[in-house]
Amino acid sequence: MEFLAWLEQTEFSTWLRESDWAHPIVLCFHAVGMGLVVGISFMYCARVLGYAKSFPLAAFDQLFGLAWFGFAMNAASGIVLLMAEPRRMPFTPAFLIKMVMIVFAGLSLWALSRTLEGTERTRTKDVKVPRGAKVAAITSIVFWCGAIVAGRLIGYTIGPPPA
Amino acid sequence: MTEADILHWFRDTSLGAAVRHSRWMFATGETFHFLGLSLLVGGILIVDLRLLGFLRHISMRSALAFLPFAIIGFVINLLTGILFFTADPMMYWPNPAFRLKMFLILLAGINALIFTLFMHRQALALGDDDQATTFMKVSAGLSLSLWLVVLLLGRLLPAFEGSTSFF
Repeated sequence: MEFLAWLEQTEFSTWLRESDWAHPIVLCFHAVGMGLVVGISFMYCARVLGYAKSFPLAAFDQLFGLAWFGFAMNAASGIVLLMAEPRRMPFTPAFLIKMVMIVFAGLSLWALSRTLEGTERTRTKDVKVPRGAKVAAITSIVFWCGAIVAGRLIGYTIGPPPA
Repeated sequence: MTEADILHWFRDTSLGAAVRHSRWMFATGETFHFLGLSLLVGGILIVDLRLLGFLRHISMRSALAFLPFAIIGFVINLLTGILFFTADPMMYWPNPAFRLKMFLILLAGINALIFTLFMHRQALALGDDDQATTFMKVSAGLSLSLWLVVLLLGRLLPAFEGSTSFF
């Protein structure tokens, strides 16, 4: 708690809160990263669920590099946003729910890749996607949506710092 | 009808009043705007990256199969965007970030129209490992850059509130 109070008083944290441009610019990075991570995840899940069957699953490997880049960008910009409000953010329920949603979305995608082990990913004809993979695709879509809803609620529900 | 009349008309629609008086409509609209953004980005990434020569081992036809997601995302964002605008047209209209954003969306639309009219059929014929033409690559590059700037301007829009410094 003392550490968080110290962090809030640092020059960097104060500048993030008081500058006209710092916050919107960090949010720009956060939005681009979201588009990459969630956008690519959605397309991948749609493919796993049976959409665009002529698109080989393996072709997504290149896009995952871009999605990881987006994730790194959002982890970094997210830490900066957290540093702007270190005494308020960690006690905002919407923020904590968002973190849980992101972890579960990630776990779903990891489970999805596990269930696809042994599935022919480069061919497109007669490839049968296992049922477990489809379930994991649906849960990851749901968790990403949950993360977006919770993230949007942070700004509306962030409270005063605890006494 | 003057500019002010049109803005007042928007503000006085029942939708505008509903959004202003509701505690959740604007925030819900924003959430859908982000989902639409993700669908749009996901869809155009696959199409444009294939045109630019990444994801080369797949046919253009299967990449273009993801285009409907981009269109659905755009429609979601058009509708939620109208919702935001009617809630406070006097704030949005003079905002330079809003004006530039709308102008770039128009350019992105013209770019997509040109692609559809003059390149789409030719693109569908591109099989595995086939290169797109230079025209197609320019169109894909324009599409990615325009939508990126549109996204950034949307996020910067509140920072330009009350500013009339350019445009």
